[in-house]
Amino acid sequence: MTVLVVSFLLVFVPYFIPWGPLDWLSGKLMTIAAVTNAFTIVIAVYSQFRRSGRFIREKRKGWVYHIYLLVLLAIMTLSGFILGQHAGAYEWLLLAVVTPLSSVIYGILAFYMASAGARAFRARSPQAALLLVAGFIVLLYQAPLTGAFFPGIEGAATYITNTFGMSVSRMFSISVSIGAIVLGVRMLTGREVAFLGFTEGEE
Amino acid sequence: MLLILLFALTIKFMGQAKLPYIRRVPALDAIEDAVGRSTEMGKPVVCSFGIGGFDYWTVAGLSILGYVAKICAETDTRLIVPTGGGSETYITREAAVDLVRNAYTAAGRPEAFNEEDMPFLSGEQYAYTPGYVGILVRERPGATVMTGSHYSEAMNIAEMANGVDSITITAGCYTSNMAALACASDYIMLGEEQPAAGAYLSREPAQMASIRVQDIYKFIAIGTILVGIVLVNVGSDIINRLLAT
Repeated sequence: MTVLVVSFLLVFVPYFIPWGPLDWLSGKLMTIAAVTNAFTIVIAVYSQFRRSGRFIREKRKGWVYHIYLLVLLAIMTLSGFILGQHAGAYEWLLLAVVTPLSSVIYGILAFYMASAGARAFRARSPQAALLLVAGFIVLLYQAPLTGAFFPGIEGAATYITNTFGMSVSRMFSISVSIGAIVLGVRMLTGREVAFLGFTEGEE
Repeated sequence: MLLILLFALTIKFMGQAKLPYIRRVPALDAIEDAVGRSTEMGKPVVCSFGIGGFDYWTVAGLSILGYVAKICAETDTRLIVPTGGGSETYITREAAVDLVRNAYTAAGRPEAFNEEDMPFLSGEQYAYTPGYVGILVRERPGATVMTGSHYSEAMNIAEMANGVDSITITAGCYTSNMAALACASDYIMLGEEQPAAGAYLSREPAQMASIRVQDIYKFIAIGTILVGIVLVNVGSDIINRLLAT
């Protein structure tokens, strides 16, 4: 806890009291944190190799995909280290392989939302019907073409979004911000130990 | 001044002997029932704590993960915890591994803990998502508990969990995906129900005091907004100037 409190003060105090040596120390601490964070990647990669290695050795279901995973992991890691992050080949791997694959996963969301919506949107009560109508209006407004067919929909959708939607969103943001500050107080006073991996009653 | 008041209130409530009242979140009963169902069917339980760093939601997710791990250890149910999804999860993963190991040890079953059931899938969100979905499709869990900070991948995971007939209990932390999760999940903890559930399960005075302080501040915020509305309508902008400093 002492380390936690000192680290917090080293970052918190220079924000309000600018003083050269303290700023320098704070910068060093941030650098140390970044380097430590980078080393945890090594632990994660080791963990993945160990797990995949066991899957391949024991020929468990889907073991071939683990070979595929390890090969790709090795290619990306080695190309980044050997060629550099700005090399053409590495950038090609990122832009031509990783980014489109990420976009695909993101794009699939639309179909999942459609299937979830088809399953859940039932007007079983007046409140559900009201929710359905409001959601329908906001959803229609999102497609630019509907503005041409329904000129009045922009006003209704904007009103729903800017009054009800924004008020709830802001209250949510206030709650989260307060919660984050209170969490910090708990951590600094030693009352929150979950981030250290301890369960209740342990120290 | 508000910040100092927040600090003082938090510390005051943390020091009180009597625990503040927090109502039981309905999703908590569902967690116990879902794990019980998984035990009867001989299926594993999948529980994740989010893809963020040590933020407000991840701490709540870890509390719920500790609870689920405790129940799984006591009922001899396999627990799978997919980790990863963000650059900060390299650190939170280690805390989660220790948390689950300690939960199994506390339940008297340290030999049942298997770190390989807590795979690190990826540090990238959209590489983590298909890995998680793959676990759901291969393992076909009886229950999927998805708490902590999940963003757009939550919809993928919740819908696939539904697709493998798993009881899906999620927690929405992101206003944009709460509605979608409410459609896709069997039980959902909306917003602050998640940290409240974490506090309720842990029964730690600090966590419960935090929930109480947040509620007090919400009332202060509502009162300030109402006073501000009245004052603005009578031509005074004192609240605006006060909050703008």
